[in-house]
This record gives sequence, C-alpha cells and structure tokens, in this order.
Amino acid sequence: MSAAFARRLLAVAPILAFVSLLLFAALRLLPIDPAAMSMPPTATKVEIEAARHAMGLDQPVTTQYVIWLGQTLRGDFGNSIHMRRPVAGLLQETLPATIELSVMAMLIAGVIGLGGGLGLFALRDRRGEAVAETLTTLMMSLPEFLWALLLIFVFGVLLSALPFTGRLDPGMTRPVVTQFLLLDTLLVGRVDVFFSALRHMVLPAFALGVAFAPPIMRVLRASLIDAYQEDYIRQARLRGVGEARILLGHALQNAVLPTLTLMGVQFGFLFGGSLLVEVIYSYPGMGNLMVDAVRNADLPIIQAVGLTYCVVVLAITALVDGLVMLLNPRLRGA
Amino acid sequence: MPRWLRDTRVIIGLSVLVVVLALALLAPLLVQATPDEQDLLATLLPSAWAKGGEAAHPLGTDSLGRDVLARLLYGTRLALTVAAIAAPGAMILGTIAALLGGYFGGWVDWVIGRAVDVWMSFPPVILSLILMVGLGTGSRNVILAIVLVDWTRFCRVLRAEVLVVVQRDYVTAARLVGFSHARVILREILPAIVPLLVTLLTLEMGIAVVVEAILAFVGLGVKPDEIAWGQMIADGRATIYQAPINLLAPVAAIFVTVAGFNLLGDGLRRSLDLRLVEGRG
Repeated sequence: MSAAFARRLLAVAPILAFVSLLLFAALRLLPIDPAAMSMPPTATKVEIEAARHAMGLDQPVTTQYVIWLGQTLRGDFGNSIHMRRPVAGLLQETLPATIELSVMAMLIAGVIGLGGGLGLFALRDRRGEAVAETLTTLMMSLPEFLWALLLIFVFGVLLSALPFTGRLDPGMTRPVVTQFLLLDTLLVGRVDVFFSALRHMVLPAFALGVAFAPPIMRVLRASLIDAYQEDYIRQARLRGVGEARILLGHALQNAVLPTLTLMGVQFGFLFGGSLLVEVIYSYPGMGNLMVDAVRNADLPIIQAVGLTYCVVVLAITALVDGLVMLLNPRLRGA
Repeated sequence: MPRWLRDTRVIIGLSVLVVVLALALLAPLLVQATPDEQDLLATLLPSAWAKGGEAAHPLGTDSLGRDVLARLLYGTRLALTVAAIAAPGAMILGTIAALLGGYFGGWVDWVIGRAVDVWMSFPPVILSLILMVGLGTGSRNVILAIVLVDWTRFCRVLRAEVLVVVQRDYVTAARLVGFSHARVILREILPAIVPLLVTLLTLEMGIAVVVEAILAFVGLGVKPDEIAWGQMIADGRATIYQAPINLLAPVAAIFVTVAGFNLLGDGLRRSLDLRLVEGRG
C-alpha cells in the first residue's frame, strides 16, 4: 500500500520537472527584458548590461534554466520586478488565503454535491426527474465568476447583508501566527475578528462551491444507480433489510468511491477557479497576485505562482488517489 | 424524426442557440445605436421601462454613454465566433491525439498520455492566463489559447473510447484484410466515436464562451476596440450601485448562451445513449 502510494508520488516528479521547463520556456520567449524592467527609466545602457549580467541573462538559456531550477528548489523564487520584494514572501502571504478559500468552497461543494446527488437519486424514475436534471444542466451553465457577481448583486448590493470586499472589517488588524487567518484569529483568541473573517468568506466560498457542485451530484447519482444493479442489494432486500439501510449502509459505501475520485478532480479545477472569485471579491490570495503579475508582466511572480498552482493540483490528485486506494478493499493489497 | 432530435432538451437547446445566432447576425437591424458610439451627456441611463429611461436605449447606457443593448448584441458575435472556431480547433487537435494514441499504443500513446498529464496539472484558467501573457491580446489569440488548453478535454475522453473500439471484431477484420492504418483509423474507428465527438464539441462551445468572457473580464482577452461580454461585465461591476443592468445584462447573455450549448449537449448525450462523466473547470 505505502509502496504503491510512494510510486504514485514518484510519478509526479517528472511531470513537475516538465511543467517547470514549460513555464520557464514559455515565459523566456517573451519579448520582455527583465533587466531593463527592474531598472529605473533613467538607467544607462551600461547599467542595464550590468544588471543583465548580475541576473545571469547573458548566459545560455539552458544554464539559465538550471540556475532558476536550483534556486526554485531551494525556495528562492527571485524578486518581483514590479513590487521589488522576494516572491517567496509574497507566496507565503497569499497561498494560505487561497487554501482557506478553496477548502471552505470544497466543503460547500461537497455538501451541496452529495446532498443534491442523493436528492437526484431519490427522484429516479419519477416525474420530477427530468425537471431536476434540467435544473442541474442550468446550474452547470453558471460558472463560478457569474455566481460571484450575482451573489454580490443580491446579498451585497440589494440586501446589504454580507460584505464582499477583502477579508476583514475596516479598522481590524489581522493577527499573524501561521498566515491562515481563520486559524490565527482563534489562536490569539480574537473571536470577533474570526467572525468578521468568516462573514467575509461566505459569499466567495459559496460562489466557488456551488459552481463546482453539479458534477458531484451527477456522479453520485450515476454511481448509486450502478450500485443498485448489483446482486448484494437484491440479497439485502431479500434478507429484509430496510430501504434506508440499503441506501446508506450498502449502496452509498460503494458509490462513494467514484464520487471521491471526481471530487479530487473537481478540487483541482476549483483551486484554479478561485483566481476569478478572488479578483471579484478583492480577496488577497494567489489569484489576485497572479492577475496583477500578468498585467505587469512580472515574470518571476508568474513563474512561481504558476508552479505553485501545479504543485497544489498534483498534491491534491495524489492525496485523493491515496485515499481511494485506502478505502477500496480491492486496491488495498496492491 | 432522427434519434438525436427526440430529447426535449435537444430541441430547447437548439431553439435557444438559433435565437442567439439570429440576434448576433441581425444586430445592425435590431438596434439603431452603434455599440461604440459615446454620448457623455447620457451616461448610466437606466433601462427604458425604469424611471428616467429613454426609448432610444432599451437597456440603458454604460458609464461612457454607450448603448447597452447594442453592445450586448454585438458582443454575441464575438462570443459565437470564438465558440465556433475554438471548440472545433480543440476537437481536431484532441481527436488526432486520441486516435493516434489509442490506435498505435506503445510509445506514441505514452508520449501523448504524459503530455495530457502535464497539461492537466495546470488549472485551465491559469494555463490560459499564462498563454495570453505570451501570445498577447486579441480575439485570434483567445481562440488559440482555448485550443491549446482544451484539447486535453477531448483527448482524455476519446482515447478511452478509441481503446474500446480498437478491440472490436470489425476493426480487427479491417486490419487483417490489410487496409492501411489511415483507412482503418478514418473509415472504421472515427465513425464509431462521432456521437461522443459531437456531444463533447457542443459542451466545449459553451466552455469557450465562458473562457472568452473570463479573459476579457480580466483584461487579457480581446483588444480594447473589440466588444466582448467579459469587458462589459468588468465595466458594469464598477457601476453596480448606479446602473446594475450594465452588469446583469451580459451575465444573463452568457448564462443563456452557455445554457443553450449545455442543454443541447446533455440532450444529445441522453438521446445518443452515451456514458460520459467529466469534471468542469
């Protein structure tokens, strides 16, 4: 089991190496001179040449890649051209915020997805089925950024019920222990700040979660229908087991595995989708950092943030695969 | 009636799309105002039925006094153009990769499989943003970015299907008879995956509409003089208190268009009896 899991992790390494190569190559082809951009506009040609030399830009591209990869592996992502700060520090501040938002959104997606899937399954072969399925199709036509805008309009502007910019009420200072705001506020015992942070996360997390819930509903429904074709369900019925126990005790246990695999895939997409939700809610996470960097052609940030998104997605995929292996008795011995 | 037309959702989806297409084509006949004509004396007008609205601007005007309805209708042209070129482009690239990998197997399949792995480790939004940095703005580059990001959606699903089809007796027979690889792939395997292909294409067109809007919203999509729904949303968000219709109109337009593609795709999947489960990003 652990050997299989280790093999899975090892398979990730070459993918990551290739991703880093791709990122480096794609962004080195740009007609942008990082050296000239990092200097004040009054710099002379000689000064820019000196900066190019200091940054290693006069060396062959392959050497540059090796240097960049070596520094990246040591956690040194260079300095932001635009903000003139180490990129590693910027990542340290923004990655936890994005993780908090994504995990909360995934919980919401899970609750809506699993609940909705059971609901859809309960409607099978009934008159409401076609209506419910059409509704999920319509739900799938609202991507996360439209949900985010609609929720702002309804709950922020029309009802003034919930805040929709930033993470805290104005005037509140954020405690910094681990950089995870929700955790930090509790660690320093500021319950009021915690609830303010939570209120600020309701709309963005819901927008993100609800947008990624419909595929989960559909897979759970399809897997439950498959499970009900199996002999052990008929056996259980013949033994006189109640319908509720058949669903929860027998069918759901088997239907949950494919659902879990899909939820892993969805979490990867959701993590990327958080970018737009962050931009719309001015949420200070990696998405906003990325979009600002893209607008300013800030290459070190784009490379580091792009790589971080990939690392997180690959980590989630590996974790979910591991979890499915643990839960699936047929794979446990592998 | 052909089998694929038997689902109600196919009919609803097709009807929605025909109406959207008609609105795009007939835009100059439907509105008098031109979409980029500014009237700084009549900015942020409400819709015609609200207090203070004018009949000349049925959906009001934006912060530069441009007619919202005109921009909405002309924006439809861009959205549909991107969908109509980008989705087939992604389909062609993904289908070729899937056919080659599934048919030849071995190292060809291995290379294509690893390429898909690398692509899938990027969240689609992130990859398209990075590509747009490299390519620069403009609708042509938006189309190129969508093709380069989304070919994996086709490749993944179709490759599995090709692997099943390759095992069928008639394909084995065709190979034993000595038909060329090209003929077996194009005449024996490809027809078997067409239903799946069409369904995926329909869904991908909806995705292309969304991606085009996202890129324009972030400011990395089309050039400033092109009219795009995402651009309208970005402008409308700034005036959400004064004139919410500026935001709600393009949001509704995207929803209706994407819903049309999704209803058609889901209906086709049902009436063609395909098993297809996939995530969305």
